[in-house]
Amino acid sequence: MSDSSAVDLTLLVVLVIGLALLFDFTNGFHDTANAMATPIATGALKPRVAVGIAAVLNLVGAFLSTEVARTISGGLIKEGDAGVQITPELILAGLIGAIVWNLLTWLLGLPSSSSHALFGGLIGAAIVGAGTGAIDGGVLVSKILIPAVLAPLTALTVAFLATKLAYAITKKRVRDRFKIGQVFTSSLVSLAHGTNDAQKTMGVITLTLIAAGFLDVDAHPPFWVIAACAVAIAAGTYAGGWRIIKTLGKDLTDIEPAQGFAAEASTTATILASSHLGFALSTTQVASGSVIGTGLGRKGAKVKWGTAGKIAIGWLITIPASGALAAGAAALAGLGTWGVILDVALAVGAILGIYLWSRRDQVTHRTFHQPQPGQFVRPKKRKVKP
Amino acid sequence: MTINWLAFVTVVVVALIGACGIVGLFSLGLRVGDSEVPVRRVAAVALYVLCGAIVLFGIWLIVPFFH
Repeated sequence: MSDSSAVDLTLLVVLVIGLALLFDFTNGFHDTANAMATPIATGALKPRVAVGIAAVLNLVGAFLSTEVARTISGGLIKEGDAGVQITPELILAGLIGAIVWNLLTWLLGLPSSSSHALFGGLIGAAIVGAGTGAIDGGVLVSKILIPAVLAPLTALTVAFLATKLAYAITKKRVRDRFKIGQVFTSSLVSLAHGTNDAQKTMGVITLTLIAAGFLDVDAHPPFWVIAACAVAIAAGTYAGGWRIIKTLGKDLTDIEPAQGFAAEASTTATILASSHLGFALSTTQVASGSVIGTGLGRKGAKVKWGTAGKIAIGWLITIPASGALAAGAAALAGLGTWGVILDVALAVGAILGIYLWSRRDQVTHRTFHQPQPGQFVRPKKRKVKP
Repeated sequence: MTINWLAFVTVVVVALIGACGIVGLFSLGLRVGDSEVPVRRVAAVALYVLCGAIVLFGIWLIVPFFH
C-alpha cells in the first residue's frame, strides 16, 4: 500500500465518521415524532419541553446501551470471508443514500424508518460494489419486509383495543388527566429509542475503524464514539422534525389525551415485547400503527386514510429509494479519491438544497396549537343565593 | 427464509396484555379517584402506584445494564 492511499484511508474514515454522525442526527429528528407527536398533539407537553425531554432521554439511553451491533447490516449483506468485504467506501455511499432519503422523507413529513434507510443504502452500495449476490434475499424478506407489514398491524390492533378499554372505563370529565400518564409513556418510548438507535451509528463507526485497522477486531466502541453518537442523536431529537410530528400528531387523526395515552402505551408495550421476545419490529412503524389504531378506537374520530396511504408508500419505497441513491454514490466512490470527494460535495449540496426548499413552508414548534389546561368542561358552581 | 411465527404471536399477546394492563389500571384509577370518598381516593392512589411499578418494569427492560 502506497503512502497516498494511506492518506486516502484516513480521509475516508474521517468522512465516514462525519457522515455517520450526520445520519445519527437525522435519525434523531426523524424519530422524535414516535415518542412526542401524541403528547404534543394533546397538549400534555409543550412542544419545546417535549423535544427537550426526548433529547435528554435519548442522550441517557445512548450511554446506557452497552451492546453494539456485530455486523453493520445485521446479516442482510453477506459479510466476511464468504461474501463481500464491506469497505469504508461502501459504508460512505450507504450513509449518503440514507441521509438524503431521511431528509427527503422529512421534507414530505413522512415517518419512515431510519434503519430501513440505512439498510437500503448499504444494500444499494453493496449491489454496485459486488453484485446482487451480495444480498441475502431470505433475510431481507424475513427481517425487513414481513415485519414491516406486521409492525403497524400489531400496533394498530393493540392501540385499538387499549383505546376502547380507556373509553369504556373512564367518564368524559376525568379524561383530561390522561395527560399526566402521557408524560411517562412517551418518555419510555424516548428512552427505548435512545438505547436502540444510537448504537447503530456506534456500530457503523466502530466497524469502520476496525476495517481501517485503527481498532482491534474485537474492540468495543471507544468512549469518544459513544459520546459523539449520544450527542448527535440528542441534538437531532431536540431539533424536532416538526413536519413528521405534525403528520403523526395532527394529520392522521385528531388525538385526545386518552387516545394519546393508549397509543403510547401500545407503542411502548409492542416495542419492549418485540425487542425482548425475539421478533424485531421498527419503532417508527409501530408508532404510526398505534396512532391509526387509536383513531379507529374512539367513536367519532376519523382516520385520514389518504395520509396513512402516503406513509405506507413512503415505507414501501424507503429501501429501494435510499438504495438507488447509495448505488449512485457507490458508483462515484468507485472512481477513487476524487469520486469520494465529489460524492460528499454532492451530498452536502443535496442537504443544503433540501434545507432551503424546506424554508418555503416552515413547520416549527409554533405550528402546534396547544389546548390550554382547564379548557375541558367543569360542572358550573351554583351561585349562592343572597 | 424462516419466520418465527411463534415469537410473533408471543409479541402480540404480551404487547396486548402490557398495553391493556397499564391503560386499564390508569383508567380505573381515574374512575375510582373521581370522588370525594377517602376510601376511593386511596384505592385510586394504589392503582397509580401499580402503574408506576409497570413503568419501572419498563425501564428495567429498557436498560441493558440490569440484565
